[in-house]
Amino acid sequence: MRFEKYIRPQNFEEALQILKSDQNSVILGGTTFLRLSDRKYSTGIDLSDLGLDFIKEVNDQIEIGAYTSLRKIETDPIINKNFGNLLPKSIENLIGIQFRNNATIGGAIFGRLGFTEIITALLVLDCELEFEENGKVDFNEFISNWNIKRDILKKIIIKKKQGKSSYKMMRNSSADFPILSVAVSNFDTIKIAVGTRPSIAKLSEKASQLINSDNNKINEAVNLITDEFKFGDDLRAGKEYRKNIAPILVKRALQEVLI
Amino acid sequence: MKLKLNINNRYYNANIDADESLLDVLRHLGFKSVKKGCDTGTCGVCSVLIDGEPILSCQFLAARAEGHKITTVEGLGEKADEIIDVIINEGADQCGYCGPALVLTTYAMKQELKNPTVEKINHYLAGNLCRCSGYEGQLRGIKKYMGVE
Repeated sequence: MRFEKYIRPQNFEEALQILKSDQNSVILGGTTFLRLSDRKYSTGIDLSDLGLDFIKEVNDQIEIGAYTSLRKIETDPIINKNFGNLLPKSIENLIGIQFRNNATIGGAIFGRLGFTEIITALLVLDCELEFEENGKVDFNEFISNWNIKRDILKKIIIKKKQGKSSYKMMRNSSADFPILSVAVSNFDTIKIAVGTRPSIAKLSEKASQLINSDNNKINEAVNLITDEFKFGDDLRAGKEYRKNIAPILVKRALQEVLI
Repeated sequence: MKLKLNINNRYYNANIDADESLLDVLRHLGFKSVKKGCDTGTCGVCSVLIDGEPILSCQFLAARAEGHKITTVEGLGEKADEIIDVIINEGADQCGYCGPALVLTTYAMKQELKNPTVEKINHYLAGNLCRCSGYEGQLRGIKKYMGVE
């Protein structure tokens, strides 16, 4: 990515004003796309000085600042003692430690990229995003609709809940992007998300509905997965291959959370 | 744009483009130990430490590095020699291209891992690719440095 000007605003008002007044400006996340994209922008807005690098427990929820690195999330004790390690498991195989020290959770979410595993994991949690202008927005709604494009993502808010979760993925080599990712949680209800199809992760409706109505219907629920989701080809795997492994990963994850 | 970078505890003035990577700026300033490999955030040979943490300098903005402590392998001094020696003793220095980044990441790993194991070492170093593919020899040396049997 290219940009002519670099600005590091000292407050949110200033950052939002630049973002709104210049439609060709961009908020910089972990800049992991610095050499992977040739898109040109007028201004790169760096929010490093706005105190968005934090993980904290606030009453019954965990708040993660948008500029928190994926590596910090992977190793943070608060994150590791909640949600059955779901979030660290969805990050720990991404490229290498150096990459994960650069990449931010805000960039991972706002980019809405198909291979972003943490989106698969966050979908099965009770999660909200807080924006400077739009306030709080449901995570699933943002991922499904992408209805907010020119705003500042400040933090991710996750409700703490008791229960089990499981994260499954398949990749060609240990530090590559995955060819499929699956997250399942069993807190108040069972939630199933399938990602890297290779399109962006999505929550299951039919399979989730069936397994919530009867926890013994694992095989029946798993059989719905291939019809419920669209799978595609990319350089890592073919559509048919993904279609075949998706039910297996979902079944394994369901068995883990229902034991 | 003009900026002042703290590299190995010395300040350097640089005149950079707004979107210039830290990798390119470091090499222009003469830090040739920081290698340009894939330049797309995959191979790890451009690794440097920012405030003690290993990052990929090819995808880190030079402008963002102002105000932080940048460490290249030159800045480790004798601490680097200790790691280089264990790798050389296993005949694993090979072409040397991945060496500076491997030494820096190994140094950061030693500071971070409280109870190192072979599995944890492999995981920590997964982002450091070696084009000679001599991982076994490197790992033998690094295990000794980390005190892992």
